[in-house]
Amino acid sequence: MDYSMEDTQNAAPDAHETSKLSSTAQRADTQSVTKRLQHELMELMLSPSPGISAFPNADGNLLSWTATITGPTETPYDGLSLKLSFTFPNNYPYAAPTVLFITPIYHPNVDFSGRICLDILRDKWSAVYNVQTVLLSLQSLLGEPNNASPLNAQAAELWDNDKEEFKRHVLARHRDIDEE
Amino acid sequence: MIQTVPIPASRRRVFDSVFSPASLDDFSPTPVATPALDYTAVGQPFGGGIQTYDRTSLPRPSTASSFLSNDTVPLADEVDKTTWDHAWQVATAFLVLPDAKLSYLEVCGEVDQERFFKQWNRHDPPSKETTEALAYLLGASSAGRQSSGITFERPDLLEWYGNETRRHFLKNFREGLLLLLRATEIGDALQKTVQYLHLARTIYLAPVVEHILPLLDTKAQEKSFGAFQEGFHAVVAYSLPWNTLSPLLAQEVTKEAFIILGIDTLATTDDDENDMEVDRQCTISYLEWREEPSDEVRMHMMAENDDAQVTAARDRLLSLFNGLQLVGLGGDRAQKVFASVMDALLTEFTREAYTGQWEGPSLVVHHLRQWIENVFARLVVQVLAIIHPPEQGSQASDRLSISLSTVERWQESGIARLGALRTGELFDVIVDWPASSGAIEDLRHFTTHPAARLYVTQTFITALNQRLLHPGASTVEILQVYISIIRGFTLLDPKGVLLDRIARPIRRYLRDRDDTIKAIVGGLLADPDEADEQVQPAAGSSADETLVELSAELAKAHRSSLQRADSGELDWDDMNWMPDPVDAAPDYRKSKSSDVIGSLISLFESKEAFVKEMQQMLADRLLRKRGDFEQELSVVEFLKVRFGDSALQACEVMLRDIFDSKRVDASVRNDQRLAQEPDPGVDQPELHAKILSRFFWPELQPLEFKVPEPVAVQQQQYAEGFESLKQSRKLTWHNGLGQVTVELDLEDRVFVDQVTTWQATVIYAFQSSSSALAVEDLSQELAMSAALVRSACLFWVSKRILTEVQRDHFCVLEVLPSETDENAATGGSHPVDAGQDSEEADRSAATANAAAAADAAAAAAAKETADAAAMEKMNLYWQFIMGMLTNQGAMPLQRIVMMLKIAVPGGFPFSNEELREFLAGMVNKGKLEIVSGGNYKIIRDA
Repeated sequence: MDYSMEDTQNAAPDAHETSKLSSTAQRADTQSVTKRLQHELMELMLSPSPGISAFPNADGNLLSWTATITGPTETPYDGLSLKLSFTFPNNYPYAAPTVLFITPIYHPNVDFSGRICLDILRDKWSAVYNVQTVLLSLQSLLGEPNNASPLNAQAAELWDNDKEEFKRHVLARHRDIDEE
Repeated sequence: MIQTVPIPASRRRVFDSVFSPASLDDFSPTPVATPALDYTAVGQPFGGGIQTYDRTSLPRPSTASSFLSNDTVPLADEVDKTTWDHAWQVATAFLVLPDAKLSYLEVCGEVDQERFFKQWNRHDPPSKETTEALAYLLGASSAGRQSSGITFERPDLLEWYGNETRRHFLKNFREGLLLLLRATEIGDALQKTVQYLHLARTIYLAPVVEHILPLLDTKAQEKSFGAFQEGFHAVVAYSLPWNTLSPLLAQEVTKEAFIILGIDTLATTDDDENDMEVDRQCTISYLEWREEPSDEVRMHMMAENDDAQVTAARDRLLSLFNGLQLVGLGGDRAQKVFASVMDALLTEFTREAYTGQWEGPSLVVHHLRQWIENVFARLVVQVLAIIHPPEQGSQASDRLSISLSTVERWQESGIARLGALRTGELFDVIVDWPASSGAIEDLRHFTTHPAARLYVTQTFITALNQRLLHPGASTVEILQVYISIIRGFTLLDPKGVLLDRIARPIRRYLRDRDDTIKAIVGGLLADPDEADEQVQPAAGSSADETLVELSAELAKAHRSSLQRADSGELDWDDMNWMPDPVDAAPDYRKSKSSDVIGSLISLFESKEAFVKEMQQMLADRLLRKRGDFEQELSVVEFLKVRFGDSALQACEVMLRDIFDSKRVDASVRNDQRLAQEPDPGVDQPELHAKILSRFFWPELQPLEFKVPEPVAVQQQQYAEGFESLKQSRKLTWHNGLGQVTVELDLEDRVFVDQVTTWQATVIYAFQSSSSALAVEDLSQELAMSAALVRSACLFWVSKRILTEVQRDHFCVLEVLPSETDENAATGGSHPVDAGQDSEEADRSAATANAAAAADAAAAAAAKETADAAAMEKMNLYWQFIMGMLTNQGAMPLQRIVMMLKIAVPGGFPFSNEELREFLAGMVNKGKLEIVSGGNYKIIRDA
């Protein structure tokens, strides 16, 4: 016999009460995700790395964040402020977050809609990575693009052959999106 | 109901068509068709007053003369008519009523019956002529009318007499009676009215009964008597406004029924017992009844309730109703009044008899049932037997007999009243809980159907919201009441549906309180035996503010939970399983833990909060210097049963640490030869340590300072000993925690006390120097915050070990100054104290001052550290704010606060204003700027 349904019904009041208790408390399956993300946020705040920062969006659940990378010196992106969006799946950290550049960027490994080609965001993802490591990887990617597998072939070519022209493209494409 | 106030013209016309419109004085006793008779003069002879009243002054002569004059009418029919007319004259003259005001009725009591009636033209044996005339008229009207083919109109004599009485009543009595009724100051207006009406009825009825009825056959007798009576009732009902009468009646009935039902004795039970003993041998007081051991005697008490006073009241009431019924004021309307009075009195009785009678086991319901059956129902039956509605017949007898089922209905109604009473009292009952179980038993009889249960819960929740769930009530109070509610309602409704309903608002409210967990955990850990000596610096509350009973409950619940294994919702082997009650809430769930502890612990969704608080409390208590921790051990054991072993792992480790410490301490001391310090001459402190596993203990506030040299040496030694005993473990000393027993050898006294480590350290610093030491120097020397040093110094001042020679400079008080010295000394250093004469007062005042100062300083020191910690935290929040503003763009203050509350683990403890201040500081530092709309924007550093 299947009594699972009965159990669910009986458990309903608890769930009800819980949701009333705190707005952050999510259902059981997302609870661990929330916890993990809260932890990551705390870590990020306790040991901030220069040039990167991230914070959850104001929608009340922690599953979407906005991050900011300041372009490293000695790169064409020097001093530019680049924004990214993080969307975490329900089974994070066992699956990679979806990371996109919101700021238009001209980069060999980023296409024109902001999608990023980075191995740790795809097949090389592991649960030991976190927001901070992803941001740091992206920061270094700005200075050392992986021109072997470019999403933007023109950019890859320019990067290799004409840095000046590349930088001109970067600056032409860049737009601050600070003020919404 | 007929009003005597002016009626609108249209309505007057309607009335006029029914009642004689003519002036009452002009009322003619004879038909208009009869030859003119001067009847207008009829009333006049009486006008002069009753004293002059004389039989001869009746207009008999004139009747006679007209009789003769009518003789000349030629028609054959006329002969009959003439005879009839003559007879009519005689009869009406005999029956006519002399006009007289109501005041004449009042003399009734003074003159004797015979003369009285004589005055009213009654009890006069009719003359032969009159008798004949009556007989003729009645005979003609009853028998002769059809046979003799009489053509002229011959009015019915009885009808005429009915009109005559009506006229007489309206003209003479009505006014007076109305005056009487309106004169409210006359207490017995009702009785008087009834009495007068009764007399009037007798006067009106006398000739009918005596002279007319005998002439009729029985069937007609009954009919005409009934008709006459009805006519009288109608005129009475018309002329006396019922809405004036009914309050009087209600008042009267209430007064008497109060005595008959015994309510009066209840009200006075308290104040004049002696009086009552004399007055009333038997009462129906519930208390006395309850004390009576045997049921029979109880029954007896109730049935034998009648004593003289009751009997008298009963007689009065019954006779009143008798009178009312007789004069036509009984019937439906009197019944209604009576019913409403009894209804009110039933409530009154329950209120008077049972308010505050909460002792268990309760016999209230039993008592109430008996009372209704024996006292209440008895009165109702008696009264209803008298006042019955006028329509007689088969149904009347049905109505009178009060069936047993009716009495049962009354009993149910009485119990409902009791339920309402108890519901109203419920809050006080709960507050009083263990002593008021009886009231709950009473309520059980009431809460038998869903509507009543709903009523109880709703009323109670309203009371709760008004009286308990407000900021003025302390959390402990609320918890206390909640515990009582759980116990009380479990008894009231074992299924727990009511409790479930009641508990929701309380639980919701308790969740909002910050200190709920603290109060609960404190209660769990409280030791019932040492509740008094318990000091709880954390809670800062007195002993009675802790829920001591929780710990007792915990032990109790533990035992019971061992007995029945909690198999949860689906207990297949439960042969006593019952479906949920019909009025259970949709998400109602019979709580597995209907016990108190379970309910309290399930207040919050996670056990973590409890465990954390538990750890905190436990740490606090374990670090105190005590021999054993039996209580803590057992509490943790009990909680393990509920929370599971893993949840309380940390607590367990903490306990183990303490127990292990003892052993380790002994062995380390042994190994390092710290224990044997045979030479008492060497001033060597004794060091014991508690070894805590840092990982499992809550964060202890570090309070670092340099301990005195000998202690530091020992610590070193001890640590070495420990590290050799336990490989790969290291000791970190928490100098701020712990107790020191100090023994101070002063010149004239020895001081021994247990103080904190930092206090001891400070006083140790004075050991070497006899001169005054400045706080600042001490602070540097000991690496201790100045505030803490000062606090410690003030502590020692309060113990009269140190004295403050000038601000922030202290020196040791080697010799307690003699009285004069002290005056001088204090005069020197504390000019404020100089003027005081009383040495004792001075000393105690000075000590108290110093103690208060020490406390204040300690508080200041504590605040300083707390402030530092808060600043530390603010730094963290700054990181959050920076992250937020960098990534989400500029935001207004409100939004920042909201986001912080969501994002910061453990919540954001500062108010909007504090944050505003902080952000303003950041703006000043050039880290933020305020852009349009009050939004804060981060300034990108170049």
